[in-house]
Amino acid sequence: MLSRLVLVSGHTLKNSGSFGACMVQASRTFHQSSQSLAPVPPLPEKGGKVRHGIFPEELFTLLYPKTGVTGPYMLGTGLLLYMLSKEIYVINHETFAAASIGAVVIYGIKKFGPSVAAFADKINEDKVAKAQEVKDQAMASLAQGIEDEKKEQWRVEGRHMLFDAKRNNVAMLLETNYRERLHMVTNEVKKRLDYQVELQNLHRRMEQEHMVNWVEQSVVKSITPQQEKESIAKCIADLKVLAKNTQARATLNLRIFSKVLKITVKNVWGKPGFPVKRLLA
Amino acid sequence: MAGRRAAMKAIDWVVFAERVPPNQKAMFNSLKTRSDSIAAKLASLPEKPAPIDWSYYRSVVAKAGMVDEFEKKFAALMVPEPVDTQTTKIDSQEQEANKTAAAYLEASKARIAECEKALEKFRNMIPFDQMTIEDLNNTFPETKLDKAKHPYWPHKPIADL
Repeated sequence: MLSRLVLVSGHTLKNSGSFGACMVQASRTFHQSSQSLAPVPPLPEKGGKVRHGIFPEELFTLLYPKTGVTGPYMLGTGLLLYMLSKEIYVINHETFAAASIGAVVIYGIKKFGPSVAAFADKINEDKVAKAQEVKDQAMASLAQGIEDEKKEQWRVEGRHMLFDAKRNNVAMLLETNYRERLHMVTNEVKKRLDYQVELQNLHRRMEQEHMVNWVEQSVVKSITPQQEKESIAKCIADLKVLAKNTQARATLNLRIFSKVLKITVKNVWGKPGFPVKRLLA
Repeated sequence: MAGRRAAMKAIDWVVFAERVPPNQKAMFNSLKTRSDSIAAKLASLPEKPAPIDWSYYRSVVAKAGMVDEFEKKFAALMVPEPVDTQTTKIDSQEQEANKTAAAYLEASKARIAECEKALEKFRNMIPFDQMTIEDLNNTFPETKLDKAKHPYWPHKPIADL
């Protein structure tokens, strides 16, 4: 955890070069050997392994062949006893202050260390995820753009259909016009022939009517006054005979009707089942 | 007449409609309605007019020779075909459209090439978790902090943080 922080800060220090105005010269004096342009290998995920928080694992692996597992512990104990007994390190009130502070610090790190580390990692992850999302969106939109362009090219290929449709329209219009002309010619000729026929019919009708009128007039003219008086007298006599006949027939009908009525009343009135009320209503 | 009829091509309006871009759909619809009305008008007219019954007229019309004269003149009459003035215009329009289409295709291909190039750059990029800040500034020049304009940390306006 600490080593991660150390590595990151060290990296930024290297990147920012030196301080102030002497930046360029300072960075150049640091490069002793010729520069190689190979890409920088990726940074390790975790720092070097340590035991008990401070002592690197390499010490233990170094001493293992000669002294086994307990070697470094014996070394440590010996060194500590040496320093205490020879009073190279003097125990005073500062020792207790250091011990208490050390205890609190170690407790704090053990308790809150992982959560702080996770928080820092999450911030980093979010940054990377955002960048990745931007990249993905850009790639998707580019691919979509390419697809759309291809589609537009396909559309352009169909432009000949428009002109085919136009030419078809023109051909249809021409054909329609031609047919209309043919029809018009036929209709005109037919009209003229029909006119002649109608004219003839009219002539004949007029001749007929004229003849009929003329015959009527001549007949009426030929009736003499003597013939007229005779025909009127005959008409009056005929009317008189007709009137007498009609009167006789009328009285006969009346007598027959009254007889029938008497018979009906005698037979039907007052018998049971006769619908008086319905008749009267 | 037969020669003129063969010049008409069958148009598949469904396929045509697919190729029309959405911003020109209104023009396509108006073209289709016009074409349909013209076709309907053509279909409503019979191809040949009804023949005239010359024998009937010969029997009815009293004037001698009139019907014969009419018949002779009618048979000899040639109805002129209407002149086609528009096809050349349409052909020239088609040539122009071909030229503009070729230019558009060229531009479209150039755009596709640009898109492809950008896409390649994205594909060949190193993954973000292996990038350093230098690599990021090289790949996306807009992320480079301008140390000349803002010499003090954070090298960008506070509002941009």
